[in-house]
Amino acid sequence: MADASMVGLMGRVTGTVGPGLVGEVIVRVRGGAEHFLAHPASAGDRIETGTVVMVVEHLPPRTVYVTAAYDS
Amino acid sequence: MPMVVGVVAGVAVAAVLVLIGLFKLMWRVAEPNEALIISGSKHRTEGIEEGMGFRIVTGRGTLVMPGVQAVRKLSLDLNETELQVDCVTHQGIPLKVRGVVIFKVGDDFVSIANAARRFLDQQKLMSERVHNVFAGHLRSIVGGLTVEEMIRDREKLTGQTRAACGTEMEKLGLIVDSLQIHEIEDPTGYIQNLAMPHAAAVQRDARIAQAEANRLATEAEQQSFARMAEATRDSEILQAGYQAERDKAAAEARQAGPLAEAGARQEVVVQETRVAELEAHRREQQLQADVRKPADAAAYETRTLAEADRDARISSAQAQAKETELAAAAEATRVKAAAGAEAEATKARGEAAAQATRATGAAEAAAAQARGLAEAEAAKAKGLAEAEAIKARAAALAENQEAVVAQQLAENWPEIVKAGASAFGNVDNMVLLNGADGMADMFAKALTMGGTGLGLARQLLASMDRDGQAAQGASSLNGQSRKVPVDDK
Repeated sequence: MADASMVGLMGRVTGTVGPGLVGEVIVRVRGGAEHFLAHPASAGDRIETGTVVMVVEHLPPRTVYVTAAYDS
Repeated sequence: MPMVVGVVAGVAVAAVLVLIGLFKLMWRVAEPNEALIISGSKHRTEGIEEGMGFRIVTGRGTLVMPGVQAVRKLSLDLNETELQVDCVTHQGIPLKVRGVVIFKVGDDFVSIANAARRFLDQQKLMSERVHNVFAGHLRSIVGGLTVEEMIRDREKLTGQTRAACGTEMEKLGLIVDSLQIHEIEDPTGYIQNLAMPHAAAVQRDARIAQAEANRLATEAEQQSFARMAEATRDSEILQAGYQAERDKAAAEARQAGPLAEAGARQEVVVQETRVAELEAHRREQQLQADVRKPADAAAYETRTLAEADRDARISSAQAQAKETELAAAAEATRVKAAAGAEAEATKARGEAAAQATRATGAAEAAAAQARGLAEAEAAKAKGLAEAEAIKARAAALAENQEAVVAQQLAENWPEIVKAGASAFGNVDNMVLLNGADGMADMFAKALTMGGTGLGLARQLLASMDRDGQAAQGASSLNGQSRKVPVDDK
């Protein structure tokens, strides 16, 4: 089973992502939903809980860099 | 022959069985909650980059060469670790924190590989290792929080936990599903004191509510008792009423016998009374027949006789009256005729007398007229003569008034004295004091009164003189009327 690429997947913030914080996002992957430690893709962004985000970088094993999916 | 067939079949079956057994030995299936770590074959390393030396199979079966490859299982199940840590908060308050960490091996191949390399032989010890990691981290986490934040701000606690442990657990190929603080023991009573004002307020509200509820309950209870009493009273009243009705009915029932008896007796008495009445009636009838009828007959006889007698008398009286009436009428007629004759006679006589009287009257009137004329003539002549006399006297008066007056006084002196004496005429008995002087005095006074009358006459004459000169032209006509006042002087 190949490790599917995480980049481009959509997820939801379950712990605030921001500079100096270790955020958490939950992403649908491998037939289930798993949570990953998340950091903002562009430094200085703060993404509140509940925001829909897109994974732009995956650093194995469980760290992703995200950006808000919609301008809000 | 059949023997050979049987042997062949047996061998075939055995071969099939052997094949199945071999396949069973070589084919391994990974259950959903485990990962197969297969080492020993250089080729067919799936999912893992080179240099790893083993492959990971999850969720499916794979062929394993027994003796060549080794297969180990790594559980992907949830694990938990009890935490019991003495720590000090940001404010320096010592706390005993008891919590639980729930974690598992990550589902991606990197995590599985990391975990496999670290825990494959120590899966039972995984909890202990994690406990050690978390005990240290929890101290630092709690040290960065205040008690209030720990109690109230769970988001902050989880955020701090992720920040402190996330990356370390990543290294171990584990993921933390949750960290829960079960119990915070507080030896200094800080939390209790923190809660105390609120608890007191809540207690107060609770007591107020309790008291209110008690009051309401008591009110409701008392109302209910009052209602019950009311209902009891109503019921008793009703019962008493029904009892009274029952008693009444019973009494009536008891009285029914005597009543019926009395009724029967009354009936008997009524019947007896009726019998007595009938008896009396019969007796009355008998008496009527025996006594009254004969009496009536006698009375009728007497009455009839009396009536006949009376009628006879009336008829006789009527006859008498008629006779008298007729006689009276005859008398009246006669008297009326006589009266008529008398009236005629009287009328004739009256007319004759009237005729005579008229003739006499006419004659007397003629005589009176003649006499009146003669008298008038005489009076006229006398009046003229007197007028002449007065005229002459008036002339004389005009010439010498005093003389005329004196003469007149002298002529009339006796009269004057008489008039003065008339004052004494009515005196019955006069006593004169002062003797003869008194007498002279008295007379002098009386004469003075006459002298006073003389003066008055003189005045009158003087005025008359003036009038007489003014009225001399008319004296012939008024001579008669003028003479009278002078003459009366």
